[in-house]
Amino acid sequence: MALHVPRALTAAIVSFALAQPALAHEQAGVAGGLVSGLLHPVTGIDHLIAMVAVGIWGAQLGAPAIWILPITFPLVMAVGGVLGVLHVPLPMPEVMIAVSAVILGVAVAARLRLPFPAAALVVAIFAIFHGHAHGAELPRAANALAYGVGFVTATGLLHLFGIAIGALTRWPFGERVIQGLGAGIAGVGCYFLAQGLGAVA
Amino acid sequence: MKLKPVRVLMAVAILLTGTSAADAHVVAARLGDFYMGASHPLTDLQDVVLWIATGVLAGTLGASKGRWLIPVFPIGLLVGLSLAPVFGTVSTQLADATMMLAIGMLLAAAAQVPTLVLCAIAFAVAVIRGAANGAELGPETDRLLFAAGLACVGYGVVTLTMALTVVFKRTSDSVTSWRAIAVRALGGWIGAIGLMMASLVLAS
Repeated sequence: MALHVPRALTAAIVSFALAQPALAHEQAGVAGGLVSGLLHPVTGIDHLIAMVAVGIWGAQLGAPAIWILPITFPLVMAVGGVLGVLHVPLPMPEVMIAVSAVILGVAVAARLRLPFPAAALVVAIFAIFHGHAHGAELPRAANALAYGVGFVTATGLLHLFGIAIGALTRWPFGERVIQGLGAGIAGVGCYFLAQGLGAVA
Repeated sequence: MKLKPVRVLMAVAILLTGTSAADAHVVAARLGDFYMGASHPLTDLQDVVLWIATGVLAGTLGASKGRWLIPVFPIGLLVGLSLAPVFGTVSTQLADATMMLAIGMLLAAAAQVPTLVLCAIAFAVAVIRGAANGAELGPETDRLLFAAGLACVGYGVVTLTMALTVVFKRTSDSVTSWRAIAVRALGGWIGAIGLMMASLVLAS
């Protein structure tokens, strides 16, 4: 027992010795761009749930969607990103991103089995809106290339996360869990939709 | 014996509080410009993304095609470096973005690129990046040492990336195996970055 105080003291000393000055200013350079790019899709809950839902839906649809989606989605999203960079306005971007979460959530919850071209078209339209939102931030980033690398990587990893969750469809219980998750995503999407339309402050 | 961890922690804490920045003056040493040439591209994201993309593309096409890049890529870097005074301070951003888009699309499509085209792409990347690295050299830099460092790191990065990709994506894998898809998805990411960067350069 007598050793507890020295240990606590030691821990305190080590903590102080290891302390680094916090640099909370505007992040600069490659690291700043990379961090802001990585965090942009993750910190926006509406983006996050929609991207995960794309992965889950792709896994539910099975081949070829499960492997075509991760390859083509970033490229289609980049087209939206280009529109964002060029400041080409899209109609009601926030509302459309919320709608994407609702529709993708419902698709997952209902195990909607659209033919692949139709599913790809739905996802592509939403990808352009999501890419537009990210791309609009690109010229303001500390390092545009680093920001681009960050947000494409984050989006890809969110997809991968969704596909990994979607692997639960192999088991009947997992399928139910995923449908519940889809309903949850649709519910959160509804909240953002209401917010986008001004119904919720 | 019971006090030992505490003593170790105390010692570590004292050592940490007494540390100061290591200042080994590598850059100022006689071979400093060699290390500058070797480290300069690794600190630039354009180089990192494009070199890795080139290595991955070569790796996906197999060792028999990819091994041509082992001499082609460093030679391209040296050619680019020697052309740097001609290019001057012309920005290579659009060329970089175009190469990212092209290599990314080829990877995403799992295109079977002929060896000659692969060598041409790698040579173009190397020349562009060699020139970009050379454009930032000061008059006091030893160009020979810088070139040697650049060529060595170019050789190392491309060869290692290629070898890792060959090992990762085994030739026996089908086109829908997760390894093949992972490499193609990486291509999609690189292509997407290239497309957005190209638009950014054209817009600004």
